[in-house]
Amino acid sequence: MVQHIQDLYEVLSKVDGYVYPNEIELNWSILIVLYPYITGLVAGAFILASLERIFNLHVLRPTYGIALLTALSFMLVATMPLISHLGKPFRAYEIMITPHLTSAMAIFGFVYLWYLMVVLLLEIWFDYRRDMVVWAGETKGLKRFLYKVLSLWTTDISPKAVALDKKLGYIVTVIGVPSAFLLHGYVGFIFGSIKANPWWSTVLMPVIFLFSAIVSGIALVMLVYIVLTRIRKLSIDMACLDMIASYLFYILIMDFVLEGLDQIHRIYEAEESFEVLHNLVFGRLFFTLFIMQGLFGTVIPLLTLGTLQFYKPKALIRKGIYLVVSVLILVGIFFMRWNVVIGGQLFSKSFYGYTTFKIGLIGTEGYLMAAVWLIVPFLILSFLLWLLPPWKKHEDDPDVQVN
Amino acid sequence: MPQQIKRLVTAFAVFILMFLVLQQVLKPNSFGKLGHYRAMAIQENEARELHYAGSARCTKCHDEMHTDKAAGFHAQLQCEVCHGPGLKHVLYADKFKDGKLPDSLKLHKPDTRKECAICHQLNAARIKIVFDTVNNSMIKQVNALKHNLVDKHTKEELKCIECHNPHQP
Repeated sequence: MVQHIQDLYEVLSKVDGYVYPNEIELNWSILIVLYPYITGLVAGAFILASLERIFNLHVLRPTYGIALLTALSFMLVATMPLISHLGKPFRAYEIMITPHLTSAMAIFGFVYLWYLMVVLLLEIWFDYRRDMVVWAGETKGLKRFLYKVLSLWTTDISPKAVALDKKLGYIVTVIGVPSAFLLHGYVGFIFGSIKANPWWSTVLMPVIFLFSAIVSGIALVMLVYIVLTRIRKLSIDMACLDMIASYLFYILIMDFVLEGLDQIHRIYEAEESFEVLHNLVFGRLFFTLFIMQGLFGTVIPLLTLGTLQFYKPKALIRKGIYLVVSVLILVGIFFMRWNVVIGGQLFSKSFYGYTTFKIGLIGTEGYLMAAVWLIVPFLILSFLLWLLPPWKKHEDDPDVQVN
Repeated sequence: MPQQIKRLVTAFAVFILMFLVLQQVLKPNSFGKLGHYRAMAIQENEARELHYAGSARCTKCHDEMHTDKAAGFHAQLQCEVCHGPGLKHVLYADKFKDGKLPDSLKLHKPDTRKECAICHQLNAARIKIVFDTVNNSMIKQVNALKHNLVDKHTKEELKCIECHNPHQP
């Protein structure tokens, strides 16, 4: 008999204090952590590309194409963690065919579609159309066919047509910046609008998500650029890298300040949920929040990038520092998403207890599945860089004609 | 109209058209007839097998239990909360006039410490006093691992129901 009670205690051993029965197991696991993470990388990478285009920051030119293709690679995978998290993934399309206007998630489908179709694909298309027409003439077989399909069988690469491409591309970029803000602000809104969860429910959430997205996207493009020049055995453009690093520094300051404001607001307000959140932050989230997100993801990159604004060591050392800092920031922002998504489910909405979260290696919600959705975008990026290499674009010969 | 614009407009038109066609094909037939859901979902739910009969139906045969329960702290509890779903029992019990029901129709008789502990186990974080507004009472909490665990005379484990009448605890 005592055994039965022991069994009951075993189930409850992962619980501290009192939690409601449906709070013992976490419904949203690592895949839902990846969703805002990957979407953020898309928005951030695109915004870096837009800086070059809208503000004529030509020093960023070497990363323009890479940033756009990186954004597209991650965008194509952004919904996959959500879909693979579903119990019935083959019903995922229903959210699009019978959308409800009051459903935040259903509307996300259209925000996503707008950003993918009207912003990202169009901008890349206008940017690459002339090159695709030229490459279709220079290549054979499948690659030639791909270029023809992707350029929608257009052939006109007269200076007038190319000028039109540039003009329209610019307009798409101008529309694209608020769209990128909308895309990731919306992801923040999905969490921030859940009023039953005091860890999520703050109007600052969309803004915090947006700035952390820009930080992570810039860090990703910086990392890809460094690794890519290394693979291609080229010398890196340090002026470009320094410029990206200074933008990263400024945006990181804003991100840090915004998150700080949010916390100060919570501490000063000290609502009824304050005690449970306070214990959460200093207990179960201590490592991921203070060590991974705070120390490694924010403080060390901030101090390092800040120091580099005044003191510039040799290029090789700077490159190494940028490499490490970009990785640290990417890890830090991942844990920021982790702390939001997982942290919000670790405490009971009764405010009287906590549950624990343990993640497995295999299974649909395990580390391996998460790793797959983090690796696939890089495979797509490799393919896109093979198909549409930014460094082979015919930038300087606008009069080139198709063979 | 420039060539690339023509092609783009065509591509977008084809995409939107495909979306609309797919939407029509994939949308369930009864969707939207009554509201923003499948109207057929109502019939599907109606067709689902019932499991619970409700306390009122239990009272028709077991009125003495009901009288006990109505006077105690468990007055507001549905019978099937402790005894499990009883619709089959209700529907077919009459066919066994001698009272010898097959096991599949017998209802569960909870008599273990574990089952009482589901509601009454002491939990430091659970609100100590939860007032039952109807009976003006509270859900009592005990430590089921310690509270009168063993009979002092027989040295055997005690069940909760040996001291407490579950219908009138």
